Amino acid sequence: MGKSPDDSRLDLLQGTLDMLVLRTLQWGPQHGHGIGQAIRSQSDDVLKVETGSLYPALHRLEKRGWLKSEWGVSEANQRAKYYRLTAAGKAQLSREQDRWSQLVDAIGRIMNPAPTRE
Amino acid sequence: MRPDERELDEEIRGHLALSVRERLERGEDPEAARLAALREFGYIPAIRDSMRRVWYSRWFDTVEAFVLDIRIGLRSLLRAKGLAVAVVATLALGIGANAAIFSVVRGVLLRPLVNRGEDRLIYIRQSAPGLGAANTTFSVPEISDFRTRATTVAAFGDFSTIEFTMLGFGEPRVVKAGLVGGSYFEVMGLRPQLGRLLDETDDGPDAAGVAVLTHRFWTTSLNSDPTVVGRAIRLGTRSATVVGVLEPSVPYPADTEIIANVVTSPHHLGATMVTERTHRMTELFGRLAPGASVEDARTELTAIQSAIMREHPDAYAVSAHVQLSVTPLRDQLAAPARTILLVLLAAAGVLFVIACSNVANLILARSIRREGELAVRAALGASHGALRRTLLAESLVLCGGGAVLGVLLARPLVSVVSRFAARFSVRALEVTVDDSLLWVGAGLALAAAVLLAYIPRLPSPHAPAGLASGGVRISPGTTRRLRLFAMTQIAFSFVLLAGAGTLLATLVALQTAHSGYDLRQVLAVDVPLPIEAGATTGDFFHEATRRIGKLPGVEQVAAGNFVPWRDAGNLLPEFPFSVDGYTPAGGEERPHARLRVVTPGFFAAVGVPLVEGRDFTDEDRRGSERVVIVSQSVATRLFPEGDVLDRHFVWTDPLFGNREPRRIVGVAADVDDEHVVPEPALTAYHPLSQVPAGGRLFVRAAGDPYALVPDVTRIIREMSADQPVARAATLQDVRAEVLAPERLNAFVMSGFAGVALLIAVVGVAGVLAFSVSARTQEFGVRLAVGSTPRHLLLGVLTEGALIVAVGIIAGAAGGLAFVGVAYSQLETLRVPGALPILGAATVLAGAAVIASLLPAAKAARVDVLQALRTE
Repeated sequence: MGKSPDDSRLDLLQGTLDMLVLRTLQWGPQHGHGIGQAIRSQSDDVLKVETGSLYPALHRLEKRGWLKSEWGVSEANQRAKYYRLTAAGKAQLSREQDRWSQLVDAIGRIMNPAPTRE
Repeated sequence: MRPDERELDEEIRGHLALSVRERLERGEDPEAARLAALREFGYIPAIRDSMRRVWYSRWFDTVEAFVLDIRIGLRSLLRAKGLAVAVVATLALGIGANAAIFSVVRGVLLRPLVNRGEDRLIYIRQSAPGLGAANTTFSVPEISDFRTRATTVAAFGDFSTIEFTMLGFGEPRVVKAGLVGGSYFEVMGLRPQLGRLLDETDDGPDAAGVAVLTHRFWTTSLNSDPTVVGRAIRLGTRSATVVGVLEPSVPYPADTEIIANVVTSPHHLGATMVTERTHRMTELFGRLAPGASVEDARTELTAIQSAIMREHPDAYAVSAHVQLSVTPLRDQLAAPARTILLVLLAAAGVLFVIACSNVANLILARSIRREGELAVRAALGASHGALRRTLLAESLVLCGGGAVLGVLLARPLVSVVSRFAARFSVRALEVTVDDSLLWVGAGLALAAAVLLAYIPRLPSPHAPAGLASGGVRISPGTTRRLRLFAMTQIAFSFVLLAGAGTLLATLVALQTAHSGYDLRQVLAVDVPLPIEAGATTGDFFHEATRRIGKLPGVEQVAAGNFVPWRDAGNLLPEFPFSVDGYTPAGGEERPHARLRVVTPGFFAAVGVPLVEGRDFTDEDRRGSERVVIVSQSVATRLFPEGDVLDRHFVWTDPLFGNREPRRIVGVAADVDDEHVVPEPALTAYHPLSQVPAGGRLFVRAAGDPYALVPDVTRIIREMSADQPVARAATLQDVRAEVLAPERLNAFVMSGFAGVALLIAVVGVAGVLAFSVSARTQEFGVRLAVGSTPRHLLLGVLTEGALIVAVGIIAGAAGGLAFVGVAYSQLETLRVPGALPILGAATVLAGAAVIASLLPAAKAARVDVLQALRTE
């Protein structure tokens, strides 16, 4: 994927995009562009989602039944496809959240070990 | 749920629009905003594709790419119409022939019969190899012995064939009738199409005469008349009622018009039929008892037969070597056609190989011309797989076309081949075109397509030589392959040609064999008198010959009981006899002779000279001295000294009862009326007035024999209005008719061989032409340094001759090996004689030289300057 060498933004950790998408949709239905912007702004411009990853991810999540899509009209009177979290998607989000905290916890312990008692 | 292509596009467009709008709101220049949005989005087709891929499996993509390949293939073939037409036509021939013959093979050899429980049906045959009788059939006492003793066979069905003069359906006509017992239809598992079939209530001498029409007779002669049930008919001297129509079924052992109960034939109720153990004229079928196998039945029935033979030694001559065979009915029906069908199948397979080799050469030549294109594609990143796929798509288009055309071609071929096969097995009559034709066609096309796609070499990405020029470059490996395919074609064509040559040689031998008869001028006519006519038979034919002899254009007329060749196999076997003054030497088999019955003038009529003594005269009548004329072979074998006249001849078979001596009054030249290629045949001729048999008229005409038919028919009808007169034909045509299967065999094989020869010759010419056009430069150089055109011409001819020579040798070796392997399967297969093999080789070599001439001439005419400038 084309990416300019001066790009200072962080790449997404493998497998976290799905979680971020689900999380973003917790606040209500949103179209692809909106989801990308939301992730970007909520991460204070640190995380930038490539459209080449976002759209296949959206379709993948929809195919697995975690999202549902419908056509709607955006605030700017532009026809767009809106994605909405399904019940299964909500359950998946909480599972991924748990896993994520465990992972962060474990990595944190390795990177910042508690001082030994000796 | 699955979004379609438009939805994906619209989603992307929506994204871009929102993105641009956002930038505009930030105050960016519209054009810059648009470009930035596009840049940010990335490469649209790739993203769109990865979105699609979420929904569609990889398979889908492969298939889609393949469909594209096929479209490209179609387009590129449209630019090479000549090649496409040649390939499709060649493949169509190969596929069509195979599909048609496979359909017939399947129908005849593999398909179950319509009979209920057909796998439990057996056919039982008694034979006497010692007498040369392949089928002696059974007598009524024999059958009742089997009925009472056998436990492995639940029920037997009996069937005897007889001819009736039938009245009740328009003109009097001679029909073949099957006479059956009440168990027959139940055993055979057949159902009525209309009315009812026969059962046990129709048995016995007191039952009413009833008949069932066969489906063929009902549909072809009676127009499927639904009112036939209940119709009263006359069969010979008896009357009968039509009670039903049989469903379509395989007519075996005889293709009859009707099947009736035995009461319709006085002969079947007579003492000879019922009590005479040696009066054999009934065929026997059986239905296996539950749990019994064919092997069980064979063992038990053979044992029963041995017991019967021990109990009645007088009815079974030791020298006859009487035997019993038990076969599943289906195998029995298919057996005669098996060899010829398998040979045909092999021939079709060979034709397919030839067609594929030829097409392979065409494709190979084409692929060499397009090596540049393939190299460009490889350089642009097309994988080996993708290139193969392109080639496969193209060959699939070609083979698909070939298959479609081939199946269309196969449909009429099936009917031709099945009519041909019907001469060997009645089952071929019921062969129909079905789905299997399509499957075979598609399978063969697929096989050919895969084969063809793997023939061309792919350019290696590491050797960019293919990109160098647009000219034709030909590597030694490719030349080798081209030659190899050409040799394959020659080799297989040679096998087919040699096979066809063998059949033709056999046919020519049969047709030119000297028969001893005057074939052209003698008309033979069937005038079957009822058995009841008895002693009056002689009077009838005496009067008939007297009246016919007065017709203008008739040189000689006589009656007899046997039309040469046509009646072979229908009549009694040869019988043992003795002549006073002759004693067999120790260990010598007692001689057997054929019994023939003729009227005075017979020998003159058919053109057989009398060697010694006299012909019968009107004085040799009933009550006067019994006389006989023997064939020359009898005279020379028994009395080499030459004093056979006036000795006394006696039939010693118990069938003749009283051993009345008959004085030998004449010796006739040898003829063989059973075999087209004459073999020594001991024959004894009796005057018709003393032995009441007959039924055949022989008229020797001065002009066209067929012109006499209406007058002969009229005279017979004047004497007896209901008398059938049938099958008038010259002996020449009788022999042609008898040889029809041989002629058909030769014709069909020659057809195959001709097509193969054509393909192979075109193949050789193509290879040479290609080789010449690729070597134009070389020839130019050679001419420039002093080669003569004649030299180049010879060089190309030699190349062609080499291909043919290697092909013929390979074909001969392979063919002989095949015959060796197939010999165990097909006993009738023979190694062809030297003449057909040499003939085939000559034809092939000659054709190949002619095929090489054109390219060779082209090589010799190469213009030096032009050739050198092509680089």
